Amino acid sequence: MKRLVLARREIPTRGGQPVAFLFGLAFALLVGAILMQISGDPAIDVYHRMWERSLGSTDTWSVTFNRAVPLALAGLAVSIAATMGLWNIGAEGQILFGATAATLVGRLFPDWPGPVLITTMLIAAAIGGALWALGPGLAKAELGVSEIITTLMLTEVAIRLITYLEQGPWKDPEGFGFPTVTERPPQAELGDLWDRTHIGVLLAFATIGAFAWFINRSVWGYELRIAGSSRHTAAYAGISMRRKVLGVLLLSGAVAGFAGGIELTGTAVRLNAQISNGYGFAGIIVAALALMRPSAIPLVALAFGAVQVGGQSIQTSLGVSPAVSTILQALILFGAIGAAVFSNYRVVAVDRQVPTG
Amino acid sequence: MTTPAVELDGIWKRFPGVIANSGANLTVRPGTVHAVLGENGAGKTTLMNCLAGVYRPDEGTIRIDGQEVRFSSPADAIAAGVGMVHQEFRLVPTFTVAENVVLGAAPRIVNRARIDGEVAALAERFGFRAEPERPVWQLSMGERQRVEILKALWRDARILILDEPTAVLTPQEAQELGAVLRTMVADGRSVIFISHKLDEVTAFCDEATVLRGGSTVAASVEVAAVDAAELARLMVGDVAAPPVNRRDTGAGEVVLSVRDLSVIDARGITAVDGVSLEVRSGEILGIAGVAGNGQRALTDAIAGLQRTATGTVEITGRDITTASPRARHKAGLAYVPEDRLGVGLAPKLPITENAIMREYQALRRGPLLSWSTARTFCDGLVQRFEVKVGRVEAPMASLSGGNLQRLLLGRELSGEPEVVVASQPTRGLDVAGVRAIQQLLVAQRDQGTGVLMVSEDLDELLALADRIIVMVEGRIVGEFDARTTSRIEIGEAMIGSRRADA
Repeated sequence: MKRLVLARREIPTRGGQPVAFLFGLAFALLVGAILMQISGDPAIDVYHRMWERSLGSTDTWSVTFNRAVPLALAGLAVSIAATMGLWNIGAEGQILFGATAATLVGRLFPDWPGPVLITTMLIAAAIGGALWALGPGLAKAELGVSEIITTLMLTEVAIRLITYLEQGPWKDPEGFGFPTVTERPPQAELGDLWDRTHIGVLLAFATIGAFAWFINRSVWGYELRIAGSSRHTAAYAGISMRRKVLGVLLLSGAVAGFAGGIELTGTAVRLNAQISNGYGFAGIIVAALALMRPSAIPLVALAFGAVQVGGQSIQTSLGVSPAVSTILQALILFGAIGAAVFSNYRVVAVDRQVPTG
Repeated sequence: MTTPAVELDGIWKRFPGVIANSGANLTVRPGTVHAVLGENGAGKTTLMNCLAGVYRPDEGTIRIDGQEVRFSSPADAIAAGVGMVHQEFRLVPTFTVAENVVLGAAPRIVNRARIDGEVAALAERFGFRAEPERPVWQLSMGERQRVEILKALWRDARILILDEPTAVLTPQEAQELGAVLRTMVADGRSVIFISHKLDEVTAFCDEATVLRGGSTVAASVEVAAVDAAELARLMVGDVAAPPVNRRDTGAGEVVLSVRDLSVIDARGITAVDGVSLEVRSGEILGIAGVAGNGQRALTDAIAGLQRTATGTVEITGRDITTASPRARHKAGLAYVPEDRLGVGLAPKLPITENAIMREYQALRRGPLLSWSTARTFCDGLVQRFEVKVGRVEAPMASLSGGNLQRLLLGRELSGEPEVVVASQPTRGLDVAGVRAIQQLLVAQRDQGTGVLMVSEDLDELLALADRIIVMVEGRIVGEFDARTTSRIEIGEAMIGSRRADA
């Protein structure tokens, strides 16, 4: 009589992560199909439509690419913090406040020419995101307060702040009484690379490349790795843990805020609390699937973008709940994490009977 | 002839680039304490990990009570009655003693009072002191080890493997452990005792199996009937260890001066209590003492890693009491910390990045690091200090203990220090590694550097040091001239004040 057990591999298999990710994707599609069959939706049609609307034509690629931008930047924000073992799970709030800061610039200088205005807005967005991470950074560096709690809670504050701006100071006088913020200046719109793919794609991937390069090559990145290794080793090497913690959270916030600025100038016309659209949270999944490696983030973000975009299309065209998309995203992570186990463990068959003493 | 409790037959275990076990054998009679002796790297721990289900041997058979078994996890081994206490403890610090003991093997409904009682009763049965309600983080290393042993006994381990159990113990605790082991074997259980210290083997064990280079060179030798020197010869092969040369260079001016230093540690305990000492150039000052008597807090305080309560530290006359660790290094202090991987190195990072840890600011090119210079620097260290590495991009942790320490010490010495503070620099290394590190320290002394060396190995201190001071409970209780003193004299000082307090 045999039984199957997991045995630890002494050496993890190489290249396990891409395989795990693909497995996660296949697993998600399979389980998703079963769920759809149970709920009476035609799985094949749904998948076909999702494919068509996300990757099926160059036109839909634009939507997917645009969607991958905030996902990738949020993923980068999370992974930067993770190099030091910190969890910035409030990228959502930093995206929102980044967009708010960019909106402020648009309101202050509505007559500036487009390129100048956009640049200023994007810089403001990054500063805004960093500001939103400043409190958690200081609290963590000086008092050891968990950044997980503070960054998450500040997301709620950012949402409330935008609600207030919508109903009060920034309310659109031509909004027919609806509580919305006035539109950003029309010239503050990112140009297109091709079709409807905006320049933000280039900005996002360049940012990721620059960070991957900078962290690998710079003194700052080196110190970050030492500090992430152990706080005692950091002290021994003469590295200030407090400054590194603060610096890394500010940078993480800035990247998330930058994503907010790109959303505002790329795909949105005005600030609202939905502009972040869960990207900050999805970014955690993207970063996790990319194993916190910046170089792997763009591909994962594109795959996630495709699932999200495809998922939205099925509601309008097939009347299938967009929750399918959310379920698929969760299943991908679930499947990939499950599959990643096998790069550390293998299944072996052993005799059921084990002698006991 | 009784059936052996454990029989390992022709065990082979290969790792990439390393053969850890090449046909190792071991037979343990029930009701005995069996020593597995060997140098570091002889394959002791790997062999035991095969027996405990952590590794699966590539070849060979394992029999428990005469019955062949194949373990695919430690859980299988535990089910078969094999428990192992690893060198690094696997305890949850915030859990109590009892919670740790029953973790993973608790009854479905946990009744705290009952479990506390059962754990206490179990401890008593084997002659332990145990306080089931105390959280583990409050315990000393010796007490934690007892929790690990209780864990194995709770799971009714009939074969208990202890991997270098005395490394973390005071001599007193080691003796208590010996008594516990006796109770266990009297109960019909068997104990496998991994060690490379001969005196412990002769004190605690009935039989010994000696491993060298991954295979068994002497099986089930009766300890009482064999000469310790013979065991030593088997262990290290035929090479006799030459004593390290001492050259009387004559000490120069004071390079490290510590005055009235006190340290209060994180638990609020006075770890160092008014210590004053001076190290002169061209001498080795040894600090002897049972582990845990403030040596680590003292060296950490000198290196700037531990806040001081009172006192001053000077290097070549410069007051560095409040200086940062980096400023101290610049002032001429090299530090080899006791916890190499957790303090002195970043084990997951590449060897290059570990090599430049002290010098990286000098490799700055604007905001960037010059990696080509870093690699040249690392290659230089590797060559000069004969570190055996594969690729310098490999993680630091891929090096063996001896090579790790060569790189660490080499890195520290490459800065041309005035003072070297080395805490347990040879602990856990194999004979070749120990000798290499000792020779580096002696060579440094001969060049006129002052060396402060903490060691638990009295023979090492007697061979290397010029003067030896003894620390007990954070205080210096005696100073001896290494040329004229003896093991006994220092040993008495090490335990003297303990006795007075008791």
